[in-house]
Amino acid sequence: MAKPPEPIEEVMPNAAWVVEAEVKEVVSTGPTPPQPANAKPGATSVGYTSASQTVKLTITNVLKGDQATELVVEKPVGPYSLRPGNKGPFLIDKSRTILGRYGPDSWHLDRVKGALE
Amino acid sequence: MPIRFNDAKLGSLYTNFEAQRRTNPNLKLGQEQVLQLVALVGDGNRGWSASKVATELQKPGMSREQQIALVKGGMTANEKKDLAAILDQGSVPLDPSAKQFLEAVLDRSAPLPPPPPVNGLSISGDQKNGLSGLAKAGASIEAINISTAPGGRLHMDDTTVIGKADANGAFTMAKLTGDQAMREGDLIRMRARNADGTTTDWVTIKATGIASKDTNNATVALFRIGLADAGNGKISVSNINASRQVSEPGAQLELTNKRTGEKTKVTITETGGFPEGFTVNGKPGDSFSVAASDGVNNTSFTQSVGNVTVPGGAPSNTDLIPDPALHKDELDSAGKPRFSKVNFTGPLFVDGAKPEDVQQGQIGDCYFPAAIAAIAKANPEAINKLIKDNGDGTYTVTFKQRDWNSQGFKDVAVKVDGDLWARSYGGALYGRSANSSDPRKMELWFPLVEKAYAQWQGSYDTIGNGGHSSDVFEAVLGRDGASINISAGNLNRVFDTIKRNIDANQPVAAGTYHDEARYTNTGVYGDHAYSVLGYEQQGNDRFVILRNPWGESEPAGNGANDGVFKLKLEEFAKLYQNLMYTN
Repeated sequence: MAKPPEPIEEVMPNAAWVVEAEVKEVVSTGPTPPQPANAKPGATSVGYTSASQTVKLTITNVLKGDQATELVVEKPVGPYSLRPGNKGPFLIDKSRTILGRYGPDSWHLDRVKGALE
Repeated sequence: MPIRFNDAKLGSLYTNFEAQRRTNPNLKLGQEQVLQLVALVGDGNRGWSASKVATELQKPGMSREQQIALVKGGMTANEKKDLAAILDQGSVPLDPSAKQFLEAVLDRSAPLPPPPPVNGLSISGDQKNGLSGLAKAGASIEAINISTAPGGRLHMDDTTVIGKADANGAFTMAKLTGDQAMREGDLIRMRARNADGTTTDWVTIKATGIASKDTNNATVALFRIGLADAGNGKISVSNINASRQVSEPGAQLELTNKRTGEKTKVTITETGGFPEGFTVNGKPGDSFSVAASDGVNNTSFTQSVGNVTVPGGAPSNTDLIPDPALHKDELDSAGKPRFSKVNFTGPLFVDGAKPEDVQQGQIGDCYFPAAIAAIAKANPEAINKLIKDNGDGTYTVTFKQRDWNSQGFKDVAVKVDGDLWARSYGGALYGRSANSSDPRKMELWFPLVEKAYAQWQGSYDTIGNGGHSSDVFEAVLGRDGASINISAGNLNRVFDTIKRNIDANQPVAAGTYHDEARYTNTGVYGDHAYSVLGYEQQGNDRFVILRNPWGESEPAGNGANDGVFKLKLEEFAKLYQNLMYTN
């Protein structure tokens, strides 16, 4: 669903880790979530979502949280999916779930760094 | 004991069904699955591919008898043994019609279907796998989905042939497709057209077995609802195009007079219209909110499908009427708003209307800000005409509504104030502009136009679940919306369409696919609409200039993060599925 990302100020307090990372491996993928019924062909913002995924991240820089070089995290059901090689800033909560409506595409790195200051 | 298959492809498919059965113990093989299986055996003797056989088997009008003959004609002896093993030893149960089909393919003495009705049509079968039933031998089976038809221009007898009865009068796998595809709970009107040209009586069935529950509410053609002053405080309500439906038969509509709050319910007739002589209380200029229920969904009539106005008088929807309700995502578990309203008092325009004034809020209406920003770029004067400051803290937004009587558009004026849903720390929740966190400074024209659109259409929830930018172009400009699909094969047509419209100061927008996997890290987002602000040509390279209605987030290398970016035409065609513009 092409809503804008949540305001980072609302999300950052829930982040146990803020890291720059790359997806190394998609460990598993959850069941296909139910999709909106009644969508007219060609309509946008209908609210399609992708399945949850368990992914292994290679960490290149820790901006907040305990030092780590690798994390296995959960991508929740949402309007994006991850593939090996995808990278960017990841906000991750204490249950190791990726935050932000679009994961690493939710906010530019500068915005993330700004919100940490 | 597992079956030992002679045909590896057949074995692989059946093993797959067995695996599905382990996770879904209720799984039965129906006609659809059996046709997949026999498509793999029907290829043997002919040199056809399995997909060719599958296509032939599912051709419209293919009778069951013809399907059986097709399979038998291509089947080898070993494949016949494989099918027999599935029938006799298979661990996945077959539903009766599927079993009967396999038995017929194997020349076993399958029981013949009962004789067809003399002058009728009987229907049975699992609609997930297509309708089956009985008619006269050779009759064509015609159907129309009268739950989806009100949204289009179909008459109730504009049927499609979905099957043909075989020599025994049986038909199977009869399905409606496209805009009329059967959904759980839909009403399907059917008849058989006999070989001699006569037709049976109509039979209407409710589609079942397609999904776990019916989640589709009754479709309402608001533009066919005619209101007229009948005198003595009464308004007559009729279908202005009696040959087409207002809604599905049996649906209940609730009309709420926005001036008096009086609610009146009515049941849609067998012909899809209003009962003869139906009236509501009101006067010329009154506006009515319309809610619909199909008896399963929206039985509380809390979701409105839109508003209709009685011609004449001073339109009551230019009175200040309640602010549009929040989107359901912003309600708590008790249905109460999680946000409150703040009165915004900033300037209506700062330096005129510009695309950058438009920022989508936390609502799934990207098609709306994408369209409005495109209009602000192409024709800012249209925005100036769209919204007027009344000088008393209120604003009048005048939209264009299609008028089916005149084949043109008529004005619909909506009056709003500066109250907007806001976050706890300030800042508009939905559409916003620069300085959105300061209610005294935010430029108001876009958030108020969005509010008026939500008011007109019913609520923020009504507009916040997806749509088409071309509909917004129509609502603002009163010009017919149009769209074309984008593909690598029509790049010249796509670019020419962009060029022609941009050069003529007409707005253009583009929508992405809902295949999210292709978008991560591209800087472009799926299931999203973008304004097309312009084009460039550099030698042989052609570029499309786009704007994300969020006002930020774009592919890298496009300067400031303001949502504006440029894509080479070929890249644009990979990421975008359709182009929307006006005729």
